[in-house]
Amino acid sequence: MKIEWTKTPIGRRKFLKGATALGATAALPMGFAGSAFAQESGTLRVRAYGDAPNMDPAHSVGVVEEEIHSSIYNKLVQYKPGSEWGWQLDAASSIEQVDPTHIKFALRDDIGFTNGHGAMTAEDVKFSFERIIADETESPNKPDMGPLSHVEVTGEREGTIVLNEPFAPLWSIALPYITGNIVSKSAVEAAGGRINSEPVAESGPYLRASWSPKEKTVLQRNPDWKGEAPAWDTIEVYPIDDENTAEIAFEAGELDLTRVSLGSVARYRDGVPNGGTLVENPSLFYVWLGMNLDHPKLQNQKLRQAIQHAIDVPTILEASYFGAADPSTGIIAPGLAGNRAKGLVAAEANIEKAMALLAESGESNVTLTLDILNKTTYTTMAQVIQAMLAQIGITLEINVLESGAFWASGDNENLQLVLNRYSMAPDPSYATAWFTSAQAGIWNWERFRSEEFDAIHAAASAETDTAKRATMYQRAQDLMEESGAYRFITHEATPVIHSSRVIPALRPDGLSLLRYFGKA
Amino acid sequence: MLIFTLKRFALAALILFVAVTLMFLMIRAVPGDPVQIMLGPRATPELQARLTAELALDQPIFRQLIIFYGNMLQGDLGTDVFSGRAVTQIVFQQLPFTLELIFGSIIWSAALGIFLGAYAASYPNTLIDRMVAIVSVSFVAAPAFVVALLSLLLFAVHLRWFPAIGAGNGFWDRMDHLVLPSFAIGLSWVGYIARLVRASMLEVLGEHHIRTARAFGLAERRIVMVYALRIAILPVVTVIGVGMGFLLSSAVFAEIVFARPGLGKLVIDSITTRNYPIVMGSVLVSTGLFVVSTALADLVNAWLDPRARSAK
Repeated sequence: MKIEWTKTPIGRRKFLKGATALGATAALPMGFAGSAFAQESGTLRVRAYGDAPNMDPAHSVGVVEEEIHSSIYNKLVQYKPGSEWGWQLDAASSIEQVDPTHIKFALRDDIGFTNGHGAMTAEDVKFSFERIIADETESPNKPDMGPLSHVEVTGEREGTIVLNEPFAPLWSIALPYITGNIVSKSAVEAAGGRINSEPVAESGPYLRASWSPKEKTVLQRNPDWKGEAPAWDTIEVYPIDDENTAEIAFEAGELDLTRVSLGSVARYRDGVPNGGTLVENPSLFYVWLGMNLDHPKLQNQKLRQAIQHAIDVPTILEASYFGAADPSTGIIAPGLAGNRAKGLVAAEANIEKAMALLAESGESNVTLTLDILNKTTYTTMAQVIQAMLAQIGITLEINVLESGAFWASGDNENLQLVLNRYSMAPDPSYATAWFTSAQAGIWNWERFRSEEFDAIHAAASAETDTAKRATMYQRAQDLMEESGAYRFITHEATPVIHSSRVIPALRPDGLSLLRYFGKA
Repeated sequence: MLIFTLKRFALAALILFVAVTLMFLMIRAVPGDPVQIMLGPRATPELQARLTAELALDQPIFRQLIIFYGNMLQGDLGTDVFSGRAVTQIVFQQLPFTLELIFGSIIWSAALGIFLGAYAASYPNTLIDRMVAIVSVSFVAAPAFVVALLSLLLFAVHLRWFPAIGAGNGFWDRMDHLVLPSFAIGLSWVGYIARLVRASMLEVLGEHHIRTARAFGLAERRIVMVYALRIAILPVVTVIGVGMGFLLSSAVFAEIVFARPGLGKLVIDSITTRNYPIVMGSVLVSTGLFVVSTALADLVNAWLDPRARSAK
């Protein structure tokens, strides 16, 4: 090819020729657009906010892995999709609480494990549950099994779960959540007692076909599954940390379902691209402003109460969550036993009362430090709180911390105020567990100590009467609020968008139950 | 040339040692109990104690460093706390994605940048030269994250020409997935290289040997493409070598915005969870990559320009 370096490179004709070529080049990919993004009708593509490297339920660290586990393993019972918490039968053909400490179950006879590990038996159930509580397993999920004593095997597919004392969360957490996954005894023993990133034997409606770390997990229909056939042949789960990226991917047609940021809710309320739908669910997270009761600056209860009343929660939510989240009344979310319809301190600020309390406290020239996580939501929230406290004459300095440093604040005795956010499983005991006296300086950063609270936490788990249990947890939250150490802010929300070809199956808190997803 | 090569790689090894040691010390200076952060709030004390011992975190920092280098020399970078997989396996599984992103960006931006720079230098102070200057500076000024988001919205969401997320499967699919991220992080390099080549080329085109070549009646194309460009791209080679480091950091945001796997994303996730073995494995490999690329750039430079070999 000869290259001519001429002095007059652009004439009218050349320009037109070049522009035509450029236009043709630009148009070229359009021909491929259809094929490149063709949606395989049998493939569901969903976003998870993290990767799922661990296939061992005993060492699962949360909902991301549980989304995969609950598709490839079975439990006696699974959460029921919908707006109210409940469970439905899965591997169990029947299950019955015969007395407060004994639960009889019978397994279906058509569930088998892959890799030649045979039919699921009561021995597998016994092994799976007792493995969680065994010290040598070192399972961080052991508390979920509460006072489990053992599982009695009464037949090939029958058994009895035996508890040391009544345990209400058995039905809301232990059986339908992470610890309820049943693994193959023979497969795990053959693997040396520990499952790592490869599931050693699966039994659910889907099998994990592949896992590309940080890229995607592919689930494929289990050909040997004898239960109700899942709707999708393949499910691709993409770990996408950033919600904005996930939203773009959804709008580009590359995802069928994703959680979206609260800042995008208003936009999606006006319409979801590609004929999709917005589903708004409350979340189980709880966000609050905590005050360290051991700190010399925060010894005065009137001062703490002044701070409680000076903070206007609706304003914070408008600024930080764009009005997409509601104020909370405590640590227990709506829909769970113990949620309070109303807190002791109203969500709205009462500046007059706050100033009166501050005057009563006798404190003046108060300067405090607020520790927060380095995320936009918290910096906005902190700035709003800073402005609100300034109204009553309290100066607030904001200390922004990287996540590792922030989450190590438990033993920081100099901590004064902190904006915090914990997650929980759908049982109130999961929330109160972090605020007992034993947790002071560990996860109870406020160092709130109350014998009554501790007693309620211990007793309520064993209370099987839901109404009584609810009253107990409501009282527990009253105690927290009365201490002046807490200003409850919100439970956030879980807004999810999905494409028109999907019928999502979501828990009441908006998390996916992939095995139950349907086709529109 | 052999002595030069040996000296350069000895220097590279020293740089690698200093950089990795610094990173090792810095990650341990970050506040917070790494084991507690890694294992979360519900880990048993026994598990915490076991992991502390396994990671040698109960040892003095100097001893930890010796253990790290001792294991590293045996090719053992440890095990991931969460999945139980070898760190070397995890890191080398992610490395190709980052390398393809970096090389994809470098290749297209260098090709276009050199072409634009050489073309502009061939027509100094003409309309073409000015247009190339405007375009180049605009490219340099465009923040990569803005380019990434705008290109996503235009080419992935609106036009649907290219995929928005992931790395793809199979050669062509992977190339398809590489277009937008490499465009986003390579665009500013086009402008930078074009300006560099233009300046360098103008200098070379004014030298005696070029005038002599012209006097001998050699074709202008040959003069520019062979005699001038070979010298003019010398600074580009050096800049690309150093630029690998910048591209590694650009790859971090590209991997997040485009939800691609890769070393950058791995490091970020691991630092957040204080997964020390993976952090150090990733840092070792990425620092090694940077050091080797700068060393290779120097060697190529020396090969192209013998004067560089004897430079003190």
